Parts: sequence; C-alpha cells; structure tokens
Amino acid sequence: MRNAYLVATREYAENARTKGFWVNLLMFPILLVASVKVPELLQDKAKPVRHFVLLDQSGEFEGAVQKGIDRAHNRKVAGALLKHAQVWSDPKKAPEAPDVDWTQLPADQMGNFDPSQDPLEQFEAMVGQGEIAEAFSDPAAIKAFESVLRASMKPDAPEFSAPRRDYERVELPEGVDPTAPVMEIAKGLKPYLSGGKMPGSDRGLFALVVIPPDAAQRLKRPTDGAMAAKNQQHGADGVQFWSSNLTDQEFREEVQSALDAEVRAREFERRGVDEKTVKEVQQTRIQFASFDPTKAEGDERVSIADTLRKWAPVGFVYLLFVAIFNTVVMLLNNTVEEKSNRIIEVLVSSATPGEIMMGKLMGIAGVGLTMLCAWVLSLLGVLMWFAGPSVQWAGPLLDVIRSSGLLPLFAFYFVGGYLIFAGIFLAVGSLCSTVKEAQNFVGSAIILLMVPLFTMVFVAQEPNGTLATVMSWIPIYTPFVMMNRAAADPPLFELWGTGILMAVTAIGMLWLSGKIFRIGILRTGQPPRLIELLKALRTPSKLQ
Amino acid sequence: MNDSAPAVVLRGVTKKYGDFTAVDSVDLEVPRGSIYGFLGPNGAGKTTTIRMILDIVKPTRGSIAVLGADSALKVRNRIGYLPEEKGLYKKMKAWAIVSYFAQLKGIDAKESKRRAYELLEKYGLKDFADAKCETLSKGMGQKVQVLASIAHRPEFVILDEPFSGLDPANQQVLEGVIRDLRDQGSTVVFSTHVMSHAERMCDRILLVARAKKIFDGTIPEARALIPRQVRLSGPSRELLERLPGVARVEPVEEEGAVGRFELTMADDAHPQDLLRHCFRESIELASFEHHEPTLHEVFLHLVGEEAKVASFR
Repeated sequence: MRNAYLVATREYAENARTKGFWVNLLMFPILLVASVKVPELLQDKAKPVRHFVLLDQSGEFEGAVQKGIDRAHNRKVAGALLKHAQVWSDPKKAPEAPDVDWTQLPADQMGNFDPSQDPLEQFEAMVGQGEIAEAFSDPAAIKAFESVLRASMKPDAPEFSAPRRDYERVELPEGVDPTAPVMEIAKGLKPYLSGGKMPGSDRGLFALVVIPPDAAQRLKRPTDGAMAAKNQQHGADGVQFWSSNLTDQEFREEVQSALDAEVRAREFERRGVDEKTVKEVQQTRIQFASFDPTKAEGDERVSIADTLRKWAPVGFVYLLFVAIFNTVVMLLNNTVEEKSNRIIEVLVSSATPGEIMMGKLMGIAGVGLTMLCAWVLSLLGVLMWFAGPSVQWAGPLLDVIRSSGLLPLFAFYFVGGYLIFAGIFLAVGSLCSTVKEAQNFVGSAIILLMVPLFTMVFVAQEPNGTLATVMSWIPIYTPFVMMNRAAADPPLFELWGTGILMAVTAIGMLWLSGKIFRIGILRTGQPPRLIELLKALRTPSKLQ
Repeated sequence: MNDSAPAVVLRGVTKKYGDFTAVDSVDLEVPRGSIYGFLGPNGAGKTTTIRMILDIVKPTRGSIAVLGADSALKVRNRIGYLPEEKGLYKKMKAWAIVSYFAQLKGIDAKESKRRAYELLEKYGLKDFADAKCETLSKGMGQKVQVLASIAHRPEFVILDEPFSGLDPANQQVLEGVIRDLRDQGSTVVFSTHVMSHAERMCDRILLVARAKKIFDGTIPEARALIPRQVRLSGPSRELLERLPGVARVEPVEEEGAVGRFELTMADDAHPQDLLRHCFRESIELASFEHHEPTLHEVFLHLVGEEAKVASFR
C-alpha cells in the first residue's frame, strides 16, 4: 500500500504541476463569468438605441404609429417585470388569498384582477395577452404593479429596473423636403441609412418610415378580389420602410402592427362595430395554471427554479464528461510514457503491478477531483457573486444546486465513471508502446464517450422515457445519463439498479484491466491482437 | 533467508518465446561481494537473463534464487536495477527521481532526499540536482538513473548495459560507482558487450552467445582458456622447438623480422617458466615479448569468427 501511495502522490504532483492543469482550473471560472458578462456587454454594444425618421405625408397616422411604438416598449417593460417576478417568485408563498393591497393599482386596472387569487399568475396571463401595455406608460403604475407582485416574491428580491427604449425618433435632417416624393426623400437619407452619422448625432439612421398621402386608401381587405390584388401590384408600395438592417425585423413589425391597429379601428367604426366591446371580448379568458404532479402537495406550481432544476443536470453532465475524459487521457498518456521510456521496468522491480496500477488510479483520480472541486467551488462562487438583479437566474440556480441532491450524485457518478473508463484506458495504455498507437484508440473511444452528450437534450426533455431508461442500463453511459436524469426523480429501482450495475462493472473492469496491465506493461512492439490477448489472459506467461 | 547464500543462483534456466530460445539452460552462481560481468554480443540473451533474475519475466524452465529467496520480488527492497533502455520522468527534478525510487525501496522521504543530494554531489552532479530531467544531457540522465537505482544501498545491484552511451570521462565515473558499491559490500552484476570494462573491473564473468553459456569464471581462468604466445628473437628454430612447454614455433613474417619467432605454448605451460629456463641454460635472447590474451581474444577463440561478424560492432 505504501508503494501505491508513493506512486499516487508522484502522479498527482506531476500532473498538478503541468500548465494544462492550471489552465483547465482557471479557464472554467473565467469562461463562466465571460458567458454571463459577454452577452450582456454585447447586448448593449450590439443593439444600441436605434434612431428612426417617421414621415407622415398623409397627416393621419403619425399619432397611431407613435402610440404603437410606445405600446411595444411598454409591453417589453411589462414582460421584463413579469420575468423579474417569476425569477424571484417564492414557491413557499400560498397562491390563494394573498396578502395584497390591490388598491395601489391604477383604478382602470383593478377590474382586471381577482383579489382572492395570486397576483403573479394573473399578471402572467395579462402580459401573455398583451393587454396590460397601456398602464405601463406611467412609471408610477409600474411601481404599483411591482409592489403588488411582491406579494408572491421572495422577501430579498431586488428592485425592478425597467429596460431602456430600443427605438428613438429623430427629426428629418435639414435640407430634405418632407413633402417630396418618397424616392427623393430616401435618396437624401441614403448616406445615413447606410451607416453615415446623422448631423448632430453620434449614430446613423436605423430606419426611415414614410407614410404616403394616400395611405388610408391603400388597404387590403379579405373581401378584395383577385383583380384588386393585381391592381395593387402596379401601384406604389403604400407605407415604405427603409432600412439597411434586414435581420432586425422587430421595429418594422411594431410600426406595421401599429398601422394595422389604426386602420382596423377605423374599420370598426366604418362598419358600426363598437371597438370597446371587441376589446372586452378579447380580454375574456379562462383561468389557467401549470402544475407538476411530482412535486409535494401544495407546492406543485412551476416556477423558474423548477425549470432550472430540470436543466442544471445538463451542465453537470458536461462537467462529468470533461472531467472524466481529461483524467483518463492523462492516465493513458502517463502509462504510455512510462512504457516507452522503460521506467516501468524499474517500477516493476520496485513495486507490484497491482500497486503501480492502484497508485496511478488514485493519483489521477486525485487530479480529477481537485479539478472538479475547483470547478464546482468556482461555479458556486461565481453564482453567489452574480446572484442579484443583473443575472436573475443566478440566485435560483444557486438554490437548486444547494438544495437538491445533485452534488453527492455528481460525486458518485464521477467516481463510478472514472473507474470504468480508467480501467479501459489503463489497459489500453499498457498495451501500446507509443503515444501514436494510443491516439488511434483515443479517437474511437471519444466517439463512444460522446454518445451521452448527443442524447443529453433528449434525455433532459424526456428524463424517464425509453431512450433515457435504456441508456441508463448501459454501464459505460450510466454516470452521464443518470446524472442527466437526476433532477427528474427516476424510479428508485432504476437509481439503485443502475448504480449497483455501474459499481459492479467498475470493479469487473478494474479486475480485467489489472490482468491486462500486468501483461501489457512489460510487452514491447505492436499491441497484441484481441485473440492473442484473450489467450494471454488465460496463460499470462505467454506474452511475457 | 540465508545471507551467506550466493547473491544469485541459476539452475538450468531456459526462456523460450514461441519457437525462439532466448536463453538456453544456463547455470550460474554469483558470489556475494563480487563484481560480475555478463558478456556477449547483442541478442545473446543477457537482458532476458537479467529480467528473469529480477522475476520481471518468468523462465520457461529452471530455477532462480536471488539473495536466498526464490523470487527477486520477495527481496526487491535489497536489489537495485538499471534497465537496458534508459528513461526518466522528464518533468521531475534529478534529486526527486533519485529520492522517489529510493522511497519505493522503503527508504523514508527525508532520508531519501538527503541521500539523493549526497549521491549527486559525490558523482559530479551537484549543480544539476535541482534541474528537471528534460534539461539534462543523455549522459547526465543516465548517471542520475544509476544513482536512482542504488540510493537505497542495495545488497545486490544489477545494471543492464550501464556504460552504453556514456563518454569516456563518465564511463570512468561509473566505474568508480561500481567499485564503491563493491567496497561497501554490495554484489554488482552488469552486462556489457564492451570487453575492456569487464576486463578492468570484474572479479568474474559470464560469457554468453546465441542463448548459451560459453564460460563463467575469473578473468585469469578465462585467459587460461587460450594457449599463451611468446615472441622472441633467438638462436634457431630447431633450438626453440626443443625448449620445454613449447608446442609450436613459427617465424614472424614481418619486414625486418629476421630471426624473430612466435612460440605457442602448451596448455599448461607458462611463459615465465620458459624465460627462467632460457636464463638457466644461458640461451641468448635478443628480445622476449609476452602479452596476456585480451578477453576479446578469448571470446573470439571460444565463439569463433562467426560471432565477430554477426555481433560485435
């Protein structure tokens, strides 16, 4: 045992001293921080506030478009508030008879809520229907909604801050005649539309919207015949939207739907339909909520934490894969190195092959565990640092990791998976004399190891489905797939059954690889063919 | 375990790899405290014999005892081994490697570190003790490896081709290491295909060729295997042929060698006796040269020219 320990400490020290090890260790938290911070930065940088020119030559639609754009923004604010409330929702708070001061809400909104029900759920439904936007033009109203929603949020939830406007209207630059034909105006603005800075501004023009004088006459109705459609092809295009950015369609849609809403309102009037009645009809809805039968009674409502709980294991599967793969390749390389420079002979004259193998297994496992501990700790650290208003999922994710049994399971599956794959790689390493020979094997082994990564998403979506169940019972995939399913409470029988099968496989694999290792480490030349190997396993002296 | 037993005893040891016989029924005894050379051309079976002695490879037939035990593995902490192909952990420091292998042989960490520095200093590697092995030259690396195999002060040291790849200066250092080991009471076995090292250092040698033992014994015994030759300038061929112990007389066929003869002595006769006889009988000799045969000549005599062509570089 002393020798195994000596071999283990040497292996550990040698690998823990390599640059690669430290790069691995430090890259993870850096990537983690970057994966959160970079998109945030990019969002600010990539989508700056965008300027547009709105020119209404008909004089009829300008107000409607402006209102539409405001509404779209208000809807975004409402959506952001909903997300904020969901992220910080407290599943422990009873949804029935909440302690809410409903009178804070603007008078015209009061009627939309049932005071005896959970405000978050009702708010969610309203935002889903897009009906709440009007109220959100007033900052005081936003505050009122937030304080109502606090009834179902955690006490430590941070304050909500509304997102900024994405689109801002600017005036037509001097020298461009607002009454000129569309083509001429477009021509005058072309330099700004294609990236040039507008006079007195630090940015170019994102879009030009021109509503022609006869826009009100250019309507398409479902009752229009084929003839009318044909006539329209020959005419101008009606409202013209000029922009060199073809990927961002959001603003275009906002303007278009604002105009559509306006002409529809006019249609209601023309046909003698009361618009208010239509709106009221549209706002009528059935009560609806999602429940998860696997959760404890009274706690069945689905929150964002539940969604995270479902997907967090996917992250752990990745970590598991990277950690296991990194360590077993280390094991393979070390073994081949010792073989190719014949240190193994000195080792074998100093310690038994069993001790050497055990030492290598333990030493490299130590390296892997150090790496994993560092990763998990930095993950927790980064999450704690982020947990707050800017990264709203960090807090709940932290809770998920801390509260569920994911970490112990993760440790169990790492050890099991490591032992199985270490057994395979160690045996192969002992049979190869050069790194090149070993690499051929690694190539095919990677593909085998990747299967659980390919199926990861399917397993997460259907954690107790056929694919997941079948793969769980294949011992080399058990660690990955069961980790994948961990949050979905797989049947206890499967949890224990696959766990025991994995442990038995690991022991068997180590026993077999111990036998191969004994034969392999002193062999030189080409790796043996499988048939030779099988013969040698029965009579070990054959190959020596 | 019997401490007065020979360091190594081989009885009828044979090793076959399939149809190929690497070692063919070799008997051998290595006495304690001796320096023993395994000599023979490449592929003669030296390394296989060494691996069998260490119980890294099992013999097909025959028995091996090392330090009185039936397997070297049982007494592995009392044995030091340097394999034929040399290699070190590239990223480890010189002292750490010496210390690591000493620890594997049962020395505690502190003591092994002390001995590592002591040995490195003693054999001229003091400045490289803290250098990583990848920065060492081949010769230095090899010396480190030799030191790593003896830092636990083994009773029995077995070195496979320790001199190959070393420059003359380092070969001399290594000869010093081996002699020091003997002086400390260790038994040393080393293999080589360079006869001169064995000639200078060994108390006994084993000669192998084509898997078979050809000879084992002391170096004088080996030399006695071939008839001695004397060159002298003397009176006449007829007179010389009548001298006692002379088997054959041939004139030396070199330019200006008139009157010079080469005498081949009889198996049991010694040139010294011949010289004494000449003095007593007042036979005038203008010159008298006698040289001991080299091991190389002994070897060639024993295995024949064929081995020379086949193996020696």
